[in-house]
Order: sequence, then structure tokens, then C-alpha cells
Amino acid sequence: MASDKESRVGSVLPAESVKVIAESVGVSGLSDEASSFLSEDISYRLKLIIQEAEKLRRHSKRKRLTCSDFDTALQMKNIEPVYGISNKDGHIPFRHASGGGREIYFTEEKELDLHSVLGDSTPKIPVDVSLKAHWLCIDGIQPSLPENPPPASKELQKQEILDTSLKQTTAQNRLGHKRPHQDSSGKHKHNHHKHKDLVKLKNLATHELSVEQQYYYKEITESCVGPDEQKRSEALQSLQQDPGLHQMLPRFVAFAAEGVKINVVQNNLALLIYLMRMVKSLLDNQTIYLDKYLHDLLPAVTTCVVSRQLCLRPDMDNHWALRDFAARLVAQICRNYSNNTNNVQARITKKFSKAIQSEKVALSTQYGALAGLGELGTEVVKSSLLPYICILGDRLKYVNEGSALNSIDKIAAEHIKKQLIKYLPPVLKSFHNSTESVEEFNVAYGYLGPFLYSMFLQKEKGLTSAGGLQAVATPARSTLQLSQRPAQILIQQPAPSTPGTPHQTSFLTGTPSFQRNPSISSMTTPSTPTGVSGAQKFVIVSQGRSSTSISSAPIASNSLVKVVGPSQPQGPTTAGAQKIVLIQGASAVNSEDGAATSNNQARTSVLTSVTTPSSISGKETL
Amino acid sequence: MATTSEDPVESVKKEPGSCQYDKQTLVAVLQFLRKHNLKGTESLLKEEAKVSEDDLKTEEDKKTEVSQALAAVYKSDDDPSLFEDLYQDLKTFIDSCLDVHKVELSTILYPVFVHMYLELVYNGHQWNASQFYSRFWQDQDEHRHEDLARLTSVRQKEHMVGSDNQLLESFKTSKFILRMSRDSYTHLKRHLQEKRLSSLLTIVQDHLFIDVFDGVPRTQQQIQASGGGLTGEVDRDANKAKVLYGLLREPDVQIALDDDEEGGDGDEKPKKKKSKKDPLLMKKSKNDPNAPAPTRIPLPELKDQDHRDRALGFREAKKRVKLDHNHLPSICFYTFVNSFHGVTCVDVSDDSSLMAAGFSDGNLRVWSLTPQKLRSMKGVDDLDIIDKEADDVMERIFDDRTATDFKSLSGHKGAVYSASISPDRAYLLSASEDGTVRLWSLQIWSNLVCYKGHNFPVWDVRFSPHGYYFASASHDRTARVWATDHHQPVRIFAGHLSDVDCCRFHPNSNYVATGSSDNSVRLWDMLNGSCVRVMTGHKSAVHCLEFSPDGKFLASGGADSQVLIWDLATGTMVAQLLAHTSTVYDLCFSREGTMLASGGLDDSIRVWDMQKIMAEQDTEADPSIPSNITINDSASLLLGSYFTKNTTVLGLHFTRRNLLLACGPFVAPS
Repeated sequence: MASDKESRVGSVLPAESVKVIAESVGVSGLSDEASSFLSEDISYRLKLIIQEAEKLRRHSKRKRLTCSDFDTALQMKNIEPVYGISNKDGHIPFRHASGGGREIYFTEEKELDLHSVLGDSTPKIPVDVSLKAHWLCIDGIQPSLPENPPPASKELQKQEILDTSLKQTTAQNRLGHKRPHQDSSGKHKHNHHKHKDLVKLKNLATHELSVEQQYYYKEITESCVGPDEQKRSEALQSLQQDPGLHQMLPRFVAFAAEGVKINVVQNNLALLIYLMRMVKSLLDNQTIYLDKYLHDLLPAVTTCVVSRQLCLRPDMDNHWALRDFAARLVAQICRNYSNNTNNVQARITKKFSKAIQSEKVALSTQYGALAGLGELGTEVVKSSLLPYICILGDRLKYVNEGSALNSIDKIAAEHIKKQLIKYLPPVLKSFHNSTESVEEFNVAYGYLGPFLYSMFLQKEKGLTSAGGLQAVATPARSTLQLSQRPAQILIQQPAPSTPGTPHQTSFLTGTPSFQRNPSISSMTTPSTPTGVSGAQKFVIVSQGRSSTSISSAPIASNSLVKVVGPSQPQGPTTAGAQKIVLIQGASAVNSEDGAATSNNQARTSVLTSVTTPSSISGKETL
Repeated sequence: MATTSEDPVESVKKEPGSCQYDKQTLVAVLQFLRKHNLKGTESLLKEEAKVSEDDLKTEEDKKTEVSQALAAVYKSDDDPSLFEDLYQDLKTFIDSCLDVHKVELSTILYPVFVHMYLELVYNGHQWNASQFYSRFWQDQDEHRHEDLARLTSVRQKEHMVGSDNQLLESFKTSKFILRMSRDSYTHLKRHLQEKRLSSLLTIVQDHLFIDVFDGVPRTQQQIQASGGGLTGEVDRDANKAKVLYGLLREPDVQIALDDDEEGGDGDEKPKKKKSKKDPLLMKKSKNDPNAPAPTRIPLPELKDQDHRDRALGFREAKKRVKLDHNHLPSICFYTFVNSFHGVTCVDVSDDSSLMAAGFSDGNLRVWSLTPQKLRSMKGVDDLDIIDKEADDVMERIFDDRTATDFKSLSGHKGAVYSASISPDRAYLLSASEDGTVRLWSLQIWSNLVCYKGHNFPVWDVRFSPHGYYFASASHDRTARVWATDHHQPVRIFAGHLSDVDCCRFHPNSNYVATGSSDNSVRLWDMLNGSCVRVMTGHKSAVHCLEFSPDGKFLASGGADSQVLIWDLATGTMVAQLLAHTSTVYDLCFSREGTMLASGGLDDSIRVWDMQKIMAEQDTEADPSIPSNITINDSASLLLGSYFTKNTTVLGLHFTRRNLLLACGPFVAPS
């Protein structure tokens, strides 16, 4: 580095460059002496001008020197500035013109046809400067707004996970002595810290959500699983972009994980899809680091990939899309969070691979496993799927040729084939060449041999067979915008026994399995039912429902999805004011309530004197 | 002819002693041949004499140089190769000294290094110069590297002629000031005399001024804190003059206050209590011994409008939040979006109702921060009809049809670098790259006066807290004070060695502080235009200054990302606030002076505990002995850091209720 700086300090324009420049302006045969003298002198003059330009930059309060700074510096030195240099497109070569004792270098300008200029639609006027006000800090605490930088950067969250002793220093950092992004310096600090006190008990983190956060949580969760698609997309977008979710993350993850547990039992496809979309948004959020919550997230997402049954009518509903979508999520998690410590990818791959090998699991599960492996990339397909194609083939053969006519299995087999078309060709290509015959394929892949062969051939020849296969081979990556949405939300329950009475306590008492999860200490009884007569409601109570109960068929009386309201349960299409309420262990949520409000009161006296400017607009966003 | 000249050449060439003579003759002959265009002979001669083109060139150069030689400070006949040894010798001597002296003595290395280099360059020993430089430049302090980089661009004597290089000029014309204790000084003197290092002694005598003080040598921290000026430190006499830093007596606004009392008895009690606690709210009934006489500088008479404003200000001040380390401020950030690097400066009016911003395209914009929109005055005909006796005449003169959220002002032909709203909010001043300062009316929204005087870009302009006067700082190395009704400056403050980057009026309007690219801060007396304080310690250009509300302290921030607090009574540094990672562009004291906010290019706002600084200040120490001064640089002074998302902090302003307003342009990450 020292030498780097040294060279910078003493740098001089090379004499060769001076020669070239001299030639370009018509002075040929410049002697070495002259050019080296010139180069030193030019370097000196240039440095002087740059020094002035640097002053201009500093006073313009920019981080970067611009051409206009240099021009102005020339002007300050009484030198004619080089015009046209700030022209963006192609400022070389300059044209030279002289006359009246002045010499100008300029760039060529095209002649414009006035007619075409007049005829064209006027270009968009650039957006005007505008003022936008926000709270950078309230009583010394920086609120988590999109306008403010995220309280804890992703890097820091990552570190926090890898090293638990970082907790305190992080809190300090957040107090603001170090910029959260400067992780290198932060690292030094915490290393130092670690050596000082090796045995330091990790402080119990108290998770207290402010009133605003509670409200936000409620709104988001309700919108995510509610019937209003517009609201849902807004909520998902918020989850995807809001930088301040760090604090509420455990709750959101728990919401999704518990939601999946319950709705898998209920075979409620729509809700599962909504929950997966929620997970997707969380995964896409650039400011949060989910490593800490994988133990909740992964089982939930994997369930949606390989669960035996995800919907009430497997023969009709498109649960395949959900499996594909969830498989992509699994792949995304593996890509982002797999490391040597948790080894997520290997474990997931193993699970999926096992499902393929097994002969007992449902075909839908195998489909999911196939999708999961496929999304993990060709390497995984090569090592964990291809060897077991024979087993899968036998299975399909049994279904297709077997006597037991099971339409569900037939459909599943079809889908599995499609899935194979999607993932196998690139892998096969690396194994085989076009000279091989069907027989070789038969030997290698058994029942699926001919099928794979034809597929392979098609791929080889680059046949873009119209419609048919090609269309299947590139299944549209569904974004899970369910067209059959309203019908799917309400899966016809085995008629709730008491449709008219919204007794919330009834399903608390009816589920002895609640107490199995001791980690949730405070069982909050759901607050007053928000049910208004005439409005339909879903109430999902997701308190520690253990997964063991999934295997046993759910009993109607303690079903967790309740349709509340006087109207008929099968009339979801009338969607008046439908509401799905998910009640979660929201302990300590209210504790800060009082303090926060008193804070607010104290603050108002300060804030009243300022109002935000009304012209809050503009395209540039923070 | 060729043969005649050839013979002696060849014969002489064998004798090495007269080689010099031989070459000169040869060159002369060759020149003669060239002049008469005898090319064939010339090339023949060259070939036979075995003289290459290069040899000739250097020979010629040297000759012209010799003839050009000017009587200058750096002329010397010393052997160029000696310099390295001399410098190395000085270094070893300092290393061998006692630890107490070592730090002080090592300050001499930098000026000696610079002057040795310049001497080498001046005497044409280019190669030795670069050799010398590359060997020792890394020994110098980190903050000197920027200056050194500028120094190396000087490689030939021609570069040293003329006055376009500020750095060189300041080294040539003024002595580098060092302060050291008597013990260290005698040590150095003895060494130089014993060893008869005459050339070193000449450098020390010619270019250095060593200010000797009685007392223990200073510590490394003390030396480092006060060093950094372009020409070293400040000698002890510079800060001897008395500075009347007290505040002027506030005019009595009690009557107006009582009239405006809104609440009943319940409100009154806590208010009175509070006003007793808050020294700023107390009427200054006794005369502050440090305050200047109110008539020292003629100040404008207060108008009715000013009285009303002040009364309003007091009322607001009573609702003020008290800030201390337990009560941190709230910050409202105004972000300029879609500015495309255009915003260069921001100013918020004292009552926080207006915000003015300058743009690099030469325009200005004024926003209203209150629901009250900006209106312009009615036309002449309409104004005629208005009943001038009416109570609300000030309201009636405005035309409601012109109400907008913001107004634009155009006139400058270069970037606007500074804007300042007058205390009565009737005027706006702007300083621009085109060398002018313009006065704008915020009632008719047009330009009133264009003050021409600076010939170079004007970096800063600032109204006096009492209005009427304003100060400007420019690239021409002067700061000037103007009165709004004079087209020429009433004072010119010259003395800075480089650009004056910023200027501020003292709260009592009797002094002006300036910060400069020569890394120093100066305080000037308005009365006689003399420089009463010179303060060094910044390692780079000073970009912002702010007086504490009680007038006792001055805070300065600069490109070296430091914030320094100075005691005006003694001119010494009180505290050094280090946390910023880039240039500090604005500072602001909370209204009662307990807190200091700073913001800058590193996209952050830092809040500092001024109360603690004042409490921990050592007032007993004798300021004339620099080693007695303690500088507070404790990390606990930092109360909080608040980061923005890529938004440079250009302006900071505490409202009368101590809410911190900050503003800056959002810079889209590229």
C-alpha cells in the first residue's frame, strides 16, 4: 500500500503521452528532452488545477469530482475551459476551430430536422426537486422507517448468529458509536470484547413490541391471509421491503410456521399458498437475516413441498403449483443460508432423495421431492435423483399399468413426468450423446428409459416441437395468484357444529394438546372476538399445536379454522367483510403500551411547532 | 572549418580535468554551426566528438539555469548529497534524546524536510530531491501527506517562481512556527552548534520560528492536537488580545411578553420556575464584565416587528425541551429528493419557518416549513389602496393569489455556495461561484443588491445576528464584512494563507470567526479589523464554525472530520470530538448550549455533550504555557449517532423548542 501511495504521490504524465498529444495537434518530432520537460510541467499545472477543482468539489459538498469542477477551476485560473467535455456521448474526437484570437475545441453536433422534433411527443420533464420530511430520530432513538437505514445490517445479524457474545456489542453499536455497516471495525471490537470476558452470560433478550409494531403485525398478518388480494399484495410488499422488521421477525416466522402446521391438517390449500407467499416476501427482504429462524421456516416450507395431501380434492386442485413454489423457496433458503455449520442443503437433499427412493410414500410427495431436488440445481439432480430414476420408474409403471385405477395417482404420475422433463434434460446431456440407443436408456433407467430417451433426443435435436412438449417443458413459473381463490379459502368443512355461536373458548378447551409446548409460557386468551354479526370470520388459533396431531384426522369440534358468522359457511363468494384472524402467543405485547403512549404525549409539545412541508412527492425514494 | 575546431577538441578531451571547459566550447561551436545551418559539418563534428543529443541538452539547460539564477531564499552551494545525511543525522539525534523532549523536537522534522526538499529543487538537484523525498516522506505525520503530495508536484525551479502555488508561497514568505519548552530548545541548539551543522542551522534560522516557553515539555497528544496549521502553530502573542465574548444586553421585551400571556395561573407557575433555571431566558440585568459596550459597534435599531419576534421567541423558548445526556433530541430530517447532486447549501431561518437552499445551477429556492405559504407583496397600485393605519397592515400587503409552498430565485451565473436568511426573515443573502453576493427580498421575491468585491468564488456568507451586517468568505483569501446599504465592504480581513472557507458572526456581532484551507481558525474584531485569535489544530480545511449561544466557545468542523471546541477567552482548544468519518459540513448548538450537533458527508448526525465539556474544562490552568492545557477527547462525549440513508447532512438547526432539524440531499447510490 505504501508503494501504491508513493507512486501516486510522485506521478508524472509519461513523456510518450506528451508526444502523442503533441502529434495530435500537429507538432511532430518532439524531442525526448522537450517532452519530458513538458510532461513534468504539464503534470505540475494539472495538479494545481485539480487542487483548485478539489476545493470546488468540497464546497459543492459532493463526494465526487466532476468535469464542471475542473472547468470552473480553469476559469478561476483565467484559462479558457475545455468546452464540451461534459457532453456524455462521445466527446472524442474534438473538433478544433480558431478565429478572433480564440481557439476552441468542441464536439460535433448533429443537424436536427425541426419537423421531426416538432412532430415527436415532448420528452418527459425531469422530476423537480422536492422536500421530504421524516423522523430521523425521536427522543434519541431512531425509528425503523423505510427512510432510515436498517437498525441492524444483514451482515451484523449474520455475525450475531455466529457469535452469541456479540449481542451486547451490537446493542452498543446500535446506540450509534459505530456505523452498523462498518462490520470490519465492529468485528475487531467484538473480538477484543470476547477475549476480555470469556464467561459472560448472554442477556435475556426481552422482546417488546411497541404499539405501532403490534398494530403493524396485526394488519400484516390479517392482510396476508385475508381475502383482499390488493391488501395482500401491499402487505407482502411491505414485508419484502420494510427495513425495520428485525424486531418482529420471530413473530412473523412463528405465524407462518404455525399456520402451515394447522392448515396442512386442514388441507387448506389457499391459506398454505398465502403463507408461502409471506415466507417468500420475508426471504426477499434484503435487510433481514433469517438464519436464526430456519428451524421454524424450513419444516414449514418443506411440508408444503412433500406433504402427502395439501388440498381437499387432490384430483382437481392445483396443489402442484404450491409444491413448485415451495420447492423454489427451499432452494432459495439453501442458496442463502446453507453453510458448513448448519449444512442445510445436504440435509434437505438427503430428505428429498429418500422420498424418491421410498416406495411407500405418496406420489404427490415424490413429486414434491422431485421439484425440490430439481430446484437445487443440476449437480444435485445428477447425484441425488438420477441414480434412483429406476425406482421412480417402477413406481410409475405400477401406477400406469396397475389394475387399481386410481385417478389421483394417474394425475400425479403425469405431473411427475412433466417435472422430469423440466429438470432432467440438461443433466442427461452431460451423460449421454446422441449415438446411444433406446436400449441403453432402458438399461439405465428401466421403465422410464424410452420416455427419457425421446425427451433426450428432442433436446438433442433442438426440436422446438410446437405446443406439446415444449409448452410443458417450460411450465410458467406461477406466481401463485390463484384464480380459484375465493372458492379455495373456505374448504367445505364438515359443517361446524355450531355455526352461529362464535365461542372462542370452546376450541381452547377442546384441545388438550395445547399444553404440550411449554415454551409458550403465557397463554393469552384471545381478546374480545372482533366478530361483528353479519361478517364472516376465520379464526385460526395457532397455539403450540404439536405436529403429532397432524396424523390423526382432525375432529370437527376442535378445528382451528372456524367460520364465524350467521351466514352459510359455503357462501364465501359473497365475501362481505371476511376476516381471518390468527391469534398467536402475543405475550408482552401490551406491556409497553402505557409507556409508549405517555412518551407520545410528552413528545407532542415538541413536535407541534413543526409541520412537514406539503409538497411531499417525487420519484426518487429513499 | 570543421577540422580546425576538431583538433583542439580531441586533444583536450584526454585530460579529464578540463572536461567541463571542453564541453562548453564544443556546445558553443555546435550552436554556431546550427545557427548557420551547416548541418553536414555539425553531424560530422558530433559524431567525431562522440557527443550525444542528450548530453547537449542537459548542458544547455544547465547553462540557461545558471544564467537565470535569481537571488532567492533557497539558493545555496551545499552538496546536494549531504542533505540526506543531514536529515538522517537530525533524526538520529532526536531519537537519542530523552523521551520528554523527543516529541517536541520531532515537530521540527516536518519543516526541515520541506525546506530541504525545496532547497534541493531550487538548486536544480532534481534527482537528489526525489531521492530525498522518497526516502523520508513516510516519516511525516499522516495529516501532512496531502500537503506533501502537493509539494512533490514541484519538481523544477520554474515551478517555484510565481505565486500560483499557495503552499509554496506560504512556505517561502512566512516562517514555520513551532513551540517548544526551553529545555528542548537548548538541547537542539547545542546539538546544532556542536556539530557545526551550518546548513541545518541556516534552515532553522531562516525558515523556522521557535517560540520558547518556560515549563514542562508538552505531551504527544497536546502537540498533535494543536499542530496541523499550514505554517505550524501559533506564537504566544497572537492570542494575547482580550476578547469581549459576553452577550449584549437583550432589549426589554417584558411588556410584550405579559400582553401575550395566554394561559391562566396554572401555566404561569412552571414557566417562572423554568425561566430561573435557564440562564439564557433570564434578563441580563447586570452587565456582563466580558460583554462589549452595546455601542461598540453601531447596531440597527429594533423595529416593532423585531420586538414582536423576540417576544414570540421567548414564549416559544419557555416551551423548550431541556436537553442533556438523559434527554436526547428528536431529529426531523428534510431530504431533498431528485436533486441530482445539485443542492450545495441550506439555511433555516431562526424561527424555523423558512428554509433556503442553494443549487449548483445558480438558483435558490425558499421553502416554507409551516402551513403558512409564501406570498409576495402586492403591486404598487394595490399597495396604494391599503389603509396604512390598519393593525394588520403587514398582513394586507401580501397577495394571497401568489401563495405557494416554495419560491425560486434566479440570478447567479455560477453555483451558489452559501445562503443566509436575515434574522427578520425579510432578506436572503447568497454567495456564488461568480464572485458576487446577492441580497434578495423575501417579500417581493427578487434581487435587490449585487455586492461585487470578491474576484473569486465566494464560499460563505452569513448575516449578523442583529441583521444589517453580513460577512463573506472567499477564495481570494479574504473575509469581508459588509453593511447591507453599502455596495463596498466595510471591513476586509486579510491574513489567512489560503481560501477562507467559512465565516460566522459572534452572537454579540462584535467579532467574526473565519475558517480557512490553511487549517486555521481566526477571530477578527469588527471594531478595528484586527485578528485577535488564531487557532490551529485542524489538519485540513475548516468547513463550518458555530458560536455557542453564550458566546464563550467556538466550535469548528472540517475536512479532517474532526470537530474542535475552542475557548475564546484564551484561544485554546477545549475539546476534540472524533467520530465522523468524513468532512463535517455543519454544526449547531442546542438553544441553551448544552448540546452540539454535527453532520456531514459521512451521512450521519452526531450529538455531543457540551455540558460535560464545560464541566470538565480546566479553568485554572495558565493558558500561556501550552503544556498545561488539557484537551478533552473522551469518547463519552458522543451522545448519539444517527445515520441517514445516503443523505449528506448539509444543514442543522435547533428550533426554539430544541427540536433538531436537519437537511440534505439524497444521493442515489451509483
